[in-house]
Amino acid sequence: MSEITRMVVVLSLIAGVCSAALTSANYLLDPYVNKQTDYFVRGPALERLFGTPAEEVLGNKVVITDELGDVPVFFVKENDKVSRLAVEAIGRGGYGGDLVIMIGIDLVNDRLTGMETVSHSETPGLGARIEEPGFRRQWQGLPLNQPVAITADGGTIDAISGASTTSRAAASGTNVVLDFVRDNKDEILAEIAAL
Amino acid sequence: MAHIYLDTLTGGLWKRIPPFRLVLGLCPALAVTMSAENGLGMGLATAFVVTLSNGAISALRNVIPSKVRIASYIVIIATLVSIVEIVMKAFFFPLSQQLGIYIPLIVVNCIVLGRAEGFAAKNPPLLSMIDGLSIGVGYALSLMLIGSVREIFGAGTWFGLPVFGESFEPMTFLVSAPGAFVTIGILLALQNLYSRMRGEKFIQG
Repeated sequence: MSEITRMVVVLSLIAGVCSAALTSANYLLDPYVNKQTDYFVRGPALERLFGTPAEEVLGNKVVITDELGDVPVFFVKENDKVSRLAVEAIGRGGYGGDLVIMIGIDLVNDRLTGMETVSHSETPGLGARIEEPGFRRQWQGLPLNQPVAITADGGTIDAISGASTTSRAAASGTNVVLDFVRDNKDEILAEIAAL
Repeated sequence: MAHIYLDTLTGGLWKRIPPFRLVLGLCPALAVTMSAENGLGMGLATAFVVTLSNGAISALRNVIPSKVRIASYIVIIATLVSIVEIVMKAFFFPLSQQLGIYIPLIVVNCIVLGRAEGFAAKNPPLLSMIDGLSIGVGYALSLMLIGSVREIFGAGTWFGLPVFGESFEPMTFLVSAPGAFVTIGILLALQNLYSRMRGEKFIQG
């Protein structure tokens, strides 16, 4: 075997074995990674939305697939009836990229229960103020049947000063959730019942 | 024969301890040692990678053609680092969030490639793994030491536990980036001073 073939063969073999090892590691550990991401990234948002410890609600999760991709939906039950949902959505067009937000929905009263940020990369002091309760409180009690918008666009949400882009992204993410829940409500309930 | 193994095993703990004696791997030593916990986590991740990469590279040392050896080493090291990254995300999520980009950057940590090229390529697998373990543990201890000094004086805690009373005013300078240079510089100077008093050679390979 000439030297050059040997080099090619050995390097390809090493690369092949390595990718096999990586693929299997990724495949085997994926459920654990998801669990940890749920607990540490989504957990705090869920805790605030539902007012219960994250451990209790993290198991109440269904993943609905539609044109948005896989949407994680968390729920709590009261008297064996699904009373509140938390739906994760992407708020497109934040100043530092897309926002990941979680919208709480009260199915009994047909109201929003709140908006929580899961992850974002907004400017500290400006867009990052999206995490402040004062801004997020405005979502509480909004009706489900009309879209959310900031005051500059004719809506009711007071945008964070200096960060209209971020506020708009949060509002658009909320509207995605509202549409999603309206279109898929039966499917979500069926999935939950099937658990 | 046992003498070589013992010598290799203890070599990384003082004679070749990185980053003080074997002045490699300074980037993570400066960047992630804000606290003792971060330092220890980073050190253990590196130790794991060095041990296994030394073993794998040493086992393949007669198969890998010398012209493509660096490429082969990097592929092996990169695979091990990615596995460490996935394992950390799966079981030590907060730590992996804190260390962030520095975990994938273990690939380009000179200690790993340095030990592969300088030791594993010339020695049998078991001995190479012992060398990797010893260098890795030495690195973990050093990073924990640097992290402890910075955390104790810079934040008044050690592994998150308060050390001094309420009245302690932390030197926040030490937790910021320039503090890392100062801490490592002082520790390096102390190490050199001690070695000089004992009449040892300073940097050994």
